[in-house]
Amino acid sequence: MASKKTARKTLSLAPVLDLNEATTLHEKLLGLKGSDLTIDASAVERVGTLCVQVLMAGAKTWEEEHLSFTFSKVSDAFEKTTQLIGVDIDHLMAKEI
Amino acid sequence: MDMNEIKEIFFQECEEQLAELESGLLKLNDGDRDPETVNAVFRAVHSIKGGAGAFGLDDLVSFAHVFETTLDCVRSNRLDPGPEVLKVMLKSADVLADLTNAARDGGSVDEARSRQLIKELEALANGEVPQASAVAEPVAKAAPVVAAPVVNDEGFQPVAFSFDDFETDEPALMEMPTYEIVFKPKSDLYAKGNDATLLLRDLSRLGEMSIHCDMDALPTLDRLSPETAYFSWKVSLKTDKGEDAIRTVFEFAEWDCDLDVSLVSGDAAPAGEELPMQPVPFDLSILDDEPVGPIGVIEEEEQLAAQQEIRNAAVAAAGTASNVLQMAQSAARAPAEKSAGAAASAAAQSAAAQQAAASAATPTIRVDLDRVDRLINLVGELVINQAMLSQSVIENDANGTSSINMGLEELQQLTREIQDSVMAIRAQPVKPVFQRMSRIVREIADMTGKSVRLITEGENTEVDKTVIDKLAEPLTHMIRNAVDHGLETPEKRLAAGKSAEGTVRLTAKHRSGRIVIELADDGAGINREKVRQKAIDNDLIAADANLSDEEIDNLIFHAGFSTADKISDISGRGVGMDVVKRSIQALGGRINISSKPGHGSVFTMSLPLTLAVLDGMVVTVANQTLVVPLTAIVETLQPEAAAIHSFGSNQRLISIRNSFCPLVDVGRILNFRASQADPVEGVALLVESEGGGQRALMVDAIQGQRQVVIKSLEANYTHVPGIAAATILGDGRVALILDVDTIVAASRGQSLKPEMSLAAAG
Repeated sequence: MASKKTARKTLSLAPVLDLNEATTLHEKLLGLKGSDLTIDASAVERVGTLCVQVLMAGAKTWEEEHLSFTFSKVSDAFEKTTQLIGVDIDHLMAKEI
Repeated sequence: MDMNEIKEIFFQECEEQLAELESGLLKLNDGDRDPETVNAVFRAVHSIKGGAGAFGLDDLVSFAHVFETTLDCVRSNRLDPGPEVLKVMLKSADVLADLTNAARDGGSVDEARSRQLIKELEALANGEVPQASAVAEPVAKAAPVVAAPVVNDEGFQPVAFSFDDFETDEPALMEMPTYEIVFKPKSDLYAKGNDATLLLRDLSRLGEMSIHCDMDALPTLDRLSPETAYFSWKVSLKTDKGEDAIRTVFEFAEWDCDLDVSLVSGDAAPAGEELPMQPVPFDLSILDDEPVGPIGVIEEEEQLAAQQEIRNAAVAAAGTASNVLQMAQSAARAPAEKSAGAAASAAAQSAAAQQAAASAATPTIRVDLDRVDRLINLVGELVINQAMLSQSVIENDANGTSSINMGLEELQQLTREIQDSVMAIRAQPVKPVFQRMSRIVREIADMTGKSVRLITEGENTEVDKTVIDKLAEPLTHMIRNAVDHGLETPEKRLAAGKSAEGTVRLTAKHRSGRIVIELADDGAGINREKVRQKAIDNDLIAADANLSDEEIDNLIFHAGFSTADKISDISGRGVGMDVVKRSIQALGGRINISSKPGHGSVFTMSLPLTLAVLDGMVVTVANQTLVVPLTAIVETLQPEAAAIHSFGSNQRLISIRNSFCPLVDVGRILNFRASQADPVEGVALLVESEGGGQRALMVDAIQGQRQVVIKSLEANYTHVPGIAAATILGDGRVALILDVDTIVAASRGQSLKPEMSLAAAG
């Protein structure tokens, strides 16, 4: 367990995740592949569809590799946007450890 | 493309919209009640507001918003666009133009004026017509009325809306139909700066919405292209706003997504049970503001709607901007208009179809003027080069083979055609200038307390862009004069048996290769006694001079001449008609006045269609080659000794068909030679000068007639009196283009300055 803990990485999302950010976010996620990931979306003020796509593709990839991909904290705007566009992130929300 | 470029495009579009707005309002003012006209006006203001919102131009947005609200009342027939209403609207259009200019170039706007107009507009929307109050107090009204502004404001859907509203009014309260919307964005949607989240958010505002996001297409991270559209949605929406409102949400994304809207049931039963639908939270206000404000701040409904609207339009503006880049702007607009037309009622349909057809027929592109100028310059060089080539072929090979000659002739025709086509690129209708005039008329009418109607004709007459640009100023002067001095006060007009409203008529037409602009007023006409007296007082003429009516009228073009009793704010500071005349002449034009006491005056300006080429007669004077503009020449003749009569010390007259015409020795006036030439040896060119009088210009010989490319003498050398410009001939020599009017004036005794001897300049 201890080894897994050190491998876990955290990605804090930028406040504005608009169309231009999608490529950056995609590259960031690619760079974090191979270890468990916690995403901190607490600072997000605005998020566009493209970035949600990237995040969901990330979730899918992590799932295929049997690694954990969770959102530790999400801002209201992030949560509302995902709800608005019908993307369910409930199952990705961080549970106790 | 950076923000400034987008902004520049926005302002360019603003100009078009403002022109559209004004012409629409003027049409309404003339009694046009076509719903499409009202819609065009509404669209114009709406687009400006939308774009301005995107760039954070708050002043512009807030004014446009109020303006738009009032226009919406007109659109939905809650406010009758009577003369009083239109007066306010036209003023508002002026202020909107000012605000746009201020936003573009900085500078200030008369805030008191815009505040006053905002009040007036609000009063129109609220007060004057009882039903109109609905817009201002949406809370107090039932659902359909609240819905109206939202639905209408969102898009540019014309007429169809008002009908839909009527249809849905009653059932709306009883049952809420459920629509199923399948929305599949294409990657282009994102590439154009649009975002599905915004569209879905707007959609959710229409009613109660559940959504299912189809993520099946989403690949894993390493195969994902971040800017490709993978998500698609199935939405179930319970709303009373109708299908059109739903489609309006997607209006600007129409071409970039697959959209399917279908009515599932008339009842509340949601469809799509087979898919897990996620209900969309009702309160999405947090998504409205970029910075997250303190939670729990509840925005007023109206504010919310306005913001949403601005954002929508901003997306629209971005969309249009990219269309411009694709150089297919109007082509892209045409389908929008077509779809609008399809939904409209039969009458509006034909109008919209016509409009759509018109805009579809003429796709346009926006090109930098510099590029066109460069092209024109090059074509000018080509023409000169072609002439030189012809000449050298002729010189070197006197009995040149016919194939070479034929080739040269074809080349000549081709270059001529190329030149004409290139000139046509620069040709623009005078409409924008004329439209500016209507504003000036309004403002001056207001200041002077006169009631004036401006009638414009031939707005689509085309003339070179440079001419148009330089036309605005003299025309403004003249319009001011016409309203301030020309027209009488309403009381005087009534006393004279005329209608209280004065008429100023601005006409443009093509006539023999020139554009003729006429400005006629139905005022009192020129008071010749007063003009004459003033001219005598100012030592312009001798007290006992015997002048024809026409000559007296033309006195007003003298510098420092103002006939108004009082110097007013508007005109009469002594920089009046002489400045106008000078600017018209600088354009190679002529101006004339004819006046009928009691019936008004007519100013006629005749201008060349282009300042780049000129048809001229190439003549020889004292071994110099000169070009005389063909437009000035009435006829040419070979004087006979018997027809020449001496007059005074050194004046000569030539008798032509029983009338005498002063003979002007061009070589003498330009100081090409010291002594007078013998008229019998040369040729006389009968020219018409701007005063209407004819003069015979004496030259040594005529070389021929050809089109020459005008090269500015001012830009390359310096101004030379008596010479309008220069050109390069086929043999590579520079030839000067004669300024006929100055030469004629000089022959009357207003001699050219002596230091301007031209002998060396040839």
